[in-house]
Amino acid sequence: MTPTGAWHSRVTQSGAAAGHWLLEWWRMAYLGAILTVLAFSPSSYGRAARATLSRHVYLNTAPILPGFSLLCALVTVVLTRIVVVTAQSYGLSQYALQVVIRVLVLELIPIGAALFVALRCTIPDGVELSVLQAGGRLDDLRRQGSDPTRAEVLPRVVAGMFAGVTLAALSCVVALCVAYVAVYGFTASGLEGYTRLFGQVFSPPVTLIFTLKTLFFSLAVSLIPMASALYGQPARPGAGVRTSAEMRSLVRMFAVLLLIEVASLVGNYY
Amino acid sequence: MANLELKARILIVFMLLLVLGSALYLLYARGAFESTQELVLVADDSEGVVVGMDMTFSGFPIGRVRRIELAGDGKARIVVDVASKDAHWLRTSSVFTLVKGLVGGPNIRAYSGILNDPPLPGGAVRNVLQGDTSAEIPKVIAAARDLLENLNTLTGASGPARGTLANLQTLTQRLNGPGGALAVLLGGDAEARKTTVTLDRANALLARLDGVVAKADAQVFGAKGVMPETRATVAQLNAMLGEARGSLRKVDAILVDAQVVASNAKDATTDLAALRSEVEASLRKVEGLITEINRKWPFARDSELKLP
Repeated sequence: MTPTGAWHSRVTQSGAAAGHWLLEWWRMAYLGAILTVLAFSPSSYGRAARATLSRHVYLNTAPILPGFSLLCALVTVVLTRIVVVTAQSYGLSQYALQVVIRVLVLELIPIGAALFVALRCTIPDGVELSVLQAGGRLDDLRRQGSDPTRAEVLPRVVAGMFAGVTLAALSCVVALCVAYVAVYGFTASGLEGYTRLFGQVFSPPVTLIFTLKTLFFSLAVSLIPMASALYGQPARPGAGVRTSAEMRSLVRMFAVLLLIEVASLVGNYY
Repeated sequence: MANLELKARILIVFMLLLVLGSALYLLYARGAFESTQELVLVADDSEGVVVGMDMTFSGFPIGRVRRIELAGDGKARIVVDVASKDAHWLRTSSVFTLVKGLVGGPNIRAYSGILNDPPLPGGAVRNVLQGDTSAEIPKVIAAARDLLENLNTLTGASGPARGTLANLQTLTQRLNGPGGALAVLLGGDAEARKTTVTLDRANALLARLDGVVAKADAQVFGAKGVMPETRATVAQLNAMLGEARGSLRKVDAILVDAQVVASNAKDATTDLAALRSEVEASLRKVEGLITEINRKWPFARDSELKLP
């Protein structure tokens, strides 16, 4: 092959890869838009759909809720102790609780909840969906005149988002309670100061960013595995594990989570 | 699974309650449900003051900053919401401070010295006293640097402290030397040696003086010494004085006689003075008479000079 031919081939391959990359992101955004519209449409919540949605919501959330809450409580106790003891040794104990709330509730718990939901619920759901598609179940639904997006994808995405938000909310409440007990003990005398501190940390911009971050985390971990399951191409024979749809979905999900986290940090601290 | 829809509904309600409760708690923590009264603090510089920070009274938060704005005169207006239930701690005579510590943000504090004063009215505008710990640090560091430089100058190679120490060391060495403190005081071993010799000589002299004094004692107070002789002489002198006293008494009698003679002579002198004054008066009259005769006499000499 001549050098010009090799260069031409390389440019063609890069262009194709970029086009494919853009197409995948576009498909995902499109699916997200469709699902948002469907989620706010009352017609999506018929009797049969409600039953399916209820099953997904319950099965995605309830089993992991106690475990994650317990894990959060343990992490909170350990981190609070470390931060409080360290702050006391530097004579900065008045800032310890604020640091605990900022680090745990604002930063760690939302991303922890999102990752937990992704690993325990949405990635398995995505695999399930890709199995359904591979088995021709989605095509059957289309042939029967039913929309597979509404019937199979929407309940899983909504359940994933619900699980993410519920886990984050409950874990935040548990972490706040455990941090209070770890610092003040079982007494109500510190409640007023603690409430005031909580109010100082959660200023309106911080609250808005926290809410948006939790919602976008939940959306990202719910949507990306589904999009990969629907539009992902099976790995080419001999291409290796690195190019498989599941792996690409995982990488994409982590990249999006990272972007949201960075954006929230920029919003909070700049 | 049995009652799956019901369980899902319970879960959704639980989540909604959780989110709603959190939102309400946040609103309560931000002071949305408490009635407040406004207080405006005017400061030269509001750096570090953030919306939501506390204003404390005796260490207890009683208000929070709601807004910070720039006034028309270029000063910062810090609008503080004081909880109505705690507003009674603020009086018209209350003082407000904005203190910046070394670590963390500034603190707004209220002090009420006289709690019997009238309560602070709502919307009151007060100047805030500012203190900045970190602003004092450069001054302290500059002073410390000056002090260290002075110390370095003092203790440097050519500094007075080092010279003094060297001198002290020399002094100690000389104190430990053969001459000891005497050599130090007199400035050298030779001088010290001289002093020692002088002392020895003084000792010898004193010994000889002892002998001399013993001899003098014998001469003065001995049996045939000066003192017994003197005592005999004094006795003789006393006798002579008694005789002299008798002679003097006789002289006294003679003098009394002489005094009487002198007084007689004095009286005689007084009479002579009266006689003299009478003679002088007679002479003055004769002179006046002659002058009168001369004036009335026709050939009286014209004593007046007439000019041509």
